[in-house]
Amino acid sequence: MAMEYFAGISDTLRITFVQIMILSTLAIIIFLYGMYINLKKWGAGAEEYGGSGTKGSLLAFPRTLIRQMSAEGQHHGQHIIVTLVLDILFQRRILRRSPLRWFMHITIFVGWMALFAMSLLMFLVEMTHMVLHMGPDPEVFREMLSLPNDIFSYVLLTGIIIAIARRLFMQRMRESTIAYDSILLGGLTVITITGFIADGIRNGTFWGMGLHSEWAPPAALFHVIISLLFCIAYIPYSKYIHMIAIPLTLLANKGGE
Amino acid sequence: MVRDSPSINTNNLTAVQLMELDACSRCGECVLWCPTYDASGKDPGLAPRDKILRWREFMNKSYGLRAKLFGPKKIPEDEIEQFKDDVYGCTTCGMCATVCESGINTVELWEAMRANLVKRGNGPFGKQGMFVKLIGEYGNPYMAAKEERLSWIPDDVVIEDEAEILYFGGCTAELRQKKLAFATARVLNKLGIKFTMLGEDEVCCSSALIRTGQYEIDDIARKAAKANVDGIKKKGAKKVLYACAGCFRASKIDWPRLLGEELPFEVVHITEFLSDLIKQGKIEWKQSIDRTVTYHDPCHLGRHVGVFEAPRHVLRSIPGIKFVEMDRIKDNQRCCGAGGGVKAGIPDLALGVAETRVKDALEKKPDILSSACPFCKRNLSDGRDSLNLTPDELEVEDIIVLAAQALGISLDDCEDQAR
Repeated sequence: MAMEYFAGISDTLRITFVQIMILSTLAIIIFLYGMYINLKKWGAGAEEYGGSGTKGSLLAFPRTLIRQMSAEGQHHGQHIIVTLVLDILFQRRILRRSPLRWFMHITIFVGWMALFAMSLLMFLVEMTHMVLHMGPDPEVFREMLSLPNDIFSYVLLTGIIIAIARRLFMQRMRESTIAYDSILLGGLTVITITGFIADGIRNGTFWGMGLHSEWAPPAALFHVIISLLFCIAYIPYSKYIHMIAIPLTLLANKGGE
Repeated sequence: MVRDSPSINTNNLTAVQLMELDACSRCGECVLWCPTYDASGKDPGLAPRDKILRWREFMNKSYGLRAKLFGPKKIPEDEIEQFKDDVYGCTTCGMCATVCESGINTVELWEAMRANLVKRGNGPFGKQGMFVKLIGEYGNPYMAAKEERLSWIPDDVVIEDEAEILYFGGCTAELRQKKLAFATARVLNKLGIKFTMLGEDEVCCSSALIRTGQYEIDDIARKAAKANVDGIKKKGAKKVLYACAGCFRASKIDWPRLLGEELPFEVVHITEFLSDLIKQGKIEWKQSIDRTVTYHDPCHLGRHVGVFEAPRHVLRSIPGIKFVEMDRIKDNQRCCGAGGGVKAGIPDLALGVAETRVKDALEKKPDILSSACPFCKRNLSDGRDSLNLTPDELEVEDIIVLAAQALGISLDDCEDQAR
């Protein structure tokens, strides 16, 4: 049954697709509320140079952003496509400063985005199959995604290992690490490791650590919940907000100084 | 239940700047490059990353989730006062913006925070508060009568009543480092460039007020910008030349913002002007300067506006000069330490930064450390003196003075009242 197959949840745990949908919706609501708070907070700023603060209009931030993006730059101005491709996607500003840090970040970025996109795609295929009774068979589709899933999971893991090593073994990084940084890295690590374990138990690989396949559904459930929590709900309230704020900053400042 | 009001407000910070606080990934690159953090003996409060973190926490306590649910959390006044001290310990050189991986426009952010804190009653820092009185009352920060702006002009210099080119002298060149004004005026005369000046009608560019967040007090900065722009228009000028990087930056970037309109004339640094003339073959050097020269990029000319090549082109074209570059140049240049009101507010810190920059130069063994800004010249000279070096060991000189010498212009009659 396709819906039981979704995220590895089975009837034996009495966790149904609907319940997962409720959890997802809850995560999205928490995310949206957080973004609402952030937009109000950002919108408390002035809309122009030297202006007075406001009580926080939801539209103040988008208006100011658009105005700043369309203003003429002094000498740093560059085309928006260049910013999108080179600064946001390729992250050349990090590469200029530190190739190691760039490699760490780009692997996390690419791994994370690819896994997120594939999860979203899988979800859409399951929904299409369930509601419209059309599109590819979810099980077949899942198998198709199996290899890229593995590849990008390891790409993500590589970045996370470098990030942890830097925080542990580089004195400068270790001394400057605060909870704000640790929670981000800790969350990422937990999501990634639980994903590997859930997949390992289901497929009986090394990552399953020899656990019986009956542990696959709860492991998958834990992975889904923790992913929804960190990947979506927690973004506006933590350092995860940089995933949204940095691209916007680069766009606002035309790629930066 | 009556909720407390937030301890801070968002005046002067734009909505985008408040978002930028959340864009800091705390990579720490800014900390590695900040000249005042370095010169302070690595005072953590001066680290740009730390300042962003603290203001973000202030914002979250005042406007974040918790504030939304339970009301703003009070921020102790001494924390805000400490933050003020730290945000003024910055030369606004912009190095942190250059290296920021998130592309945060930190200079604008610091200046907005300063303006916010001035309005709140915390800023500015120390003697910087005098700028308001001095510029407001005298039109310059040196308490000089406006007639004194003309006192440097030697008999041989011809200044037109009206001309398409206007030389904006600036307070420091006209009232203190007169050799700079001498050299600029005589170079223009020598090259047959007809130019005019504002003379007694010139008012401080207000860079000091803007950089220290005091530009809104009594509307002094805007009035000053308007007076200068109106004066320039009246003189019929289409192109305005600056030998001061601070005035240049203020005119090019700050005046249009203060006035809310584009300037009706072109803003050009004297090195850009000379570089163009050299390219057109209109400059014939008369004397060789057989010295090794290095060049310090003023922040306000280089990183802030992007003029990097013109000064180098002028120096390289002067016969005899052996031009050597320091390791940190152009976008990666190290600040001289004078900017952002630090020279006036925290002179020891300014001196510490200057010493480091002079050491940068000494590594290349130049005879002359040149620049294109009177503030850089002053602070680098102080840095050199502080390292117990004599002018014979390292001369600190402006490019326009070197250009004057290479054109065979004598500046011996110039009375430079102060460096």
